[in-house]
Amino acid sequence: MQFGWSDDEQAYRREVQAFLAEALPDDWEAISAGGPGSDAQAEFSRGFCARLAERGWLTQSWPAEYGGADASPWRHAIFGEEMWGNGEPRGPQYMNVNWIGPAIMKHGTEAQKAEHLPPISRGEVLWCQGFSEPEAGSDLAALRTAATRDGDHYVVNGSKIWTSYANHARHCFLLVRTDPESSRHKGISVLLCPMDLPGIDVREIPSVVGERYFHEVFFDDVRVPVSCRLGPEHEGWNVVSYALQFERVGAARYHRAALILDDLAERARERGLLGDARVREKLGHARTLCEAARVLTYRVIDQRAHGAPPSADSNVARIAGTTAEQAVADLALEIFGEESLEYGSYADTRFRWAMTAGVAVGATEVQLNLVARNRLELPRE
Amino acid sequence: MNFELSDDQKAILESVGALLVRHAGAERAIALAAKAEYDGALEAALADAGFFGLAVEADTGPLEAALLVEASARAGAVAAVGARALVAPQVVAGGELAGPVALAVAGRDVPVRFAAHARHALVLDGDVARRVELGPGDVAPVRSSFGFPMGRIAAAALAGGESLGAGSGERLRRWWRVATAVETGGTLRAALDVTLRYVRERRQFGRAIGSFQGVQHRLAHADVQVEGVRWLALEAAGLDAPEELSAVAAAHAAAAAKSVFDETHQFSGAMGFTREHDLHVWSMRLQALRLELGGVEAHRRAVAEARWPAS
Repeated sequence: MQFGWSDDEQAYRREVQAFLAEALPDDWEAISAGGPGSDAQAEFSRGFCARLAERGWLTQSWPAEYGGADASPWRHAIFGEEMWGNGEPRGPQYMNVNWIGPAIMKHGTEAQKAEHLPPISRGEVLWCQGFSEPEAGSDLAALRTAATRDGDHYVVNGSKIWTSYANHARHCFLLVRTDPESSRHKGISVLLCPMDLPGIDVREIPSVVGERYFHEVFFDDVRVPVSCRLGPEHEGWNVVSYALQFERVGAARYHRAALILDDLAERARERGLLGDARVREKLGHARTLCEAARVLTYRVIDQRAHGAPPSADSNVARIAGTTAEQAVADLALEIFGEESLEYGSYADTRFRWAMTAGVAVGATEVQLNLVARNRLELPRE
Repeated sequence: MNFELSDDQKAILESVGALLVRHAGAERAIALAAKAEYDGALEAALADAGFFGLAVEADTGPLEAALLVEASARAGAVAAVGARALVAPQVVAGGELAGPVALAVAGRDVPVRFAAHARHALVLDGDVARRVELGPGDVAPVRSSFGFPMGRIAAAALAGGESLGAGSGERLRRWWRVATAVETGGTLRAALDVTLRYVRERRQFGRAIGSFQGVQHRLAHADVQVEGVRWLALEAAGLDAPEELSAVAAAHAAAAAKSVFDETHQFSGAMGFTREHDLHVWSMRLQALRLELGGVEAHRRAVAEARWPAS
């Protein structure tokens, strides 16, 4: 056991920060106000990720045989913190690098790897994830979107919902039920589905979180080649479980929350609030929650660095991260008071972003179930 | 960064564990508490084995001392391990201080953990720390419900002793916070473990009460807090007690001590109030630990002061 960053790691963080200072435009605050899925940010990510790719940073965590640099999970974590801390200029592409690419490496055919990994590592392709359905949210295994085999195609019918980035994505990491007789975790398959196939219809769901944040994706007799299936037929649940463990700690949301908090403290100072004992206590509390989320996430990264299999510690980290993010967003409203009520104001954009934290990537209650079962060994009944 | 124990750290914890099996545990803690006694035998055994020097020896440091403190707390040890193994070596020139060691704040006439049995007190007095040798009549034993033998240090003794020089107050405050956070982490984990065993076995309405989701979610939240306390505290010890992180660890520990006390007792029912059930050995201590150094509000303000200085 030993804590703290090595000199190399600290130097690398400074290098990333220097790059960001130069690479992010003056109007980045405006571009990033809509979140990673906004039109502006998705568009920005194309040029930005290409620049990351040129520097060898975009997929540095990948194995060398797939064009990566075998960078340690710690280096990847530093990179992820700096990206999320600055509003995620990779846009939706962080998903490609963090879990879609690794899932294709683990389960993909040679043809799939050759088709999908190079564009991801060049930073030129956007993906979306087709998981949730109207009747399968937290209970993902209840999904019903059907893929019926017809020769060398699957015919897909059904719909996906809450799909971020669907309006920009070239491909969808799509969960379907290939065995109509099956239920729950059996009989599910993963399709790497092109989004330009006939019969796919993407509709925006207006939301209070932001514009173009959520979509519904309808599949009407969409013919997807069988060669698009990732992993064995009916065994898709294993593929997605593997991917989800990476997703849960993939986004360094705690770090973004911590940087927003630093910002808030400065604004509190400008308003003469920093001397107020009550405000200081709340700032200290929120900072404590951010730090707890950080160290618990580092615990998971450390397990990955040691090659340990994914564990419920990733659920612990995610729960702590949600708590921290919500505490910071609440404090933003309190410090800015009624000024927060104006659309697009500092507190407004931060608050709307944070309000999804307890629901995205599996509701907190599902994470708590997994902690209770897998860490605390509490009985099911 | 490495969260796994090294082979050397494992070896230390193994020998600490072997010693704690003989000199700690719930049964022993309950017996000592009945007589308000201190575990002098444990203190002597730890000293003989050289564990109080872990923080300053060449091959080990504060992190190894913190692992000792955590293991002792988890085992329900009735000894001031944190004060002697983790705090004193950072504050007193030359490292070790003959124990038992109590930690106190100048000018505060309050019950102090372990004071009734302590040979020395380290007294936090603004910017400096003072070392006070406690003699007969300096401390009046205090009866307490909160799991530790306690005493009230006479005003004259509390104001006396020898100043440990410039910067010693700040060092004492930082390491006291770290030691309390580490000790709280071990105590929290033990309280949660007792409760988990109970809810797995206790059946009502035809099922284990630990199978109710209303129980599971609250215990899972407790686990998230306890795990956070543990790693923040160990990290703070391993990084030499940075001002902000020490306060962060102490703040998280104090908040968890309150909520985990509430939850573990709630789910242990009336059984949790009895002396025959082990929960109280750890749960009652949590209340004493969370009040140290001004408690959670003071720790949180200290976090803010360290990160965003007002001036």
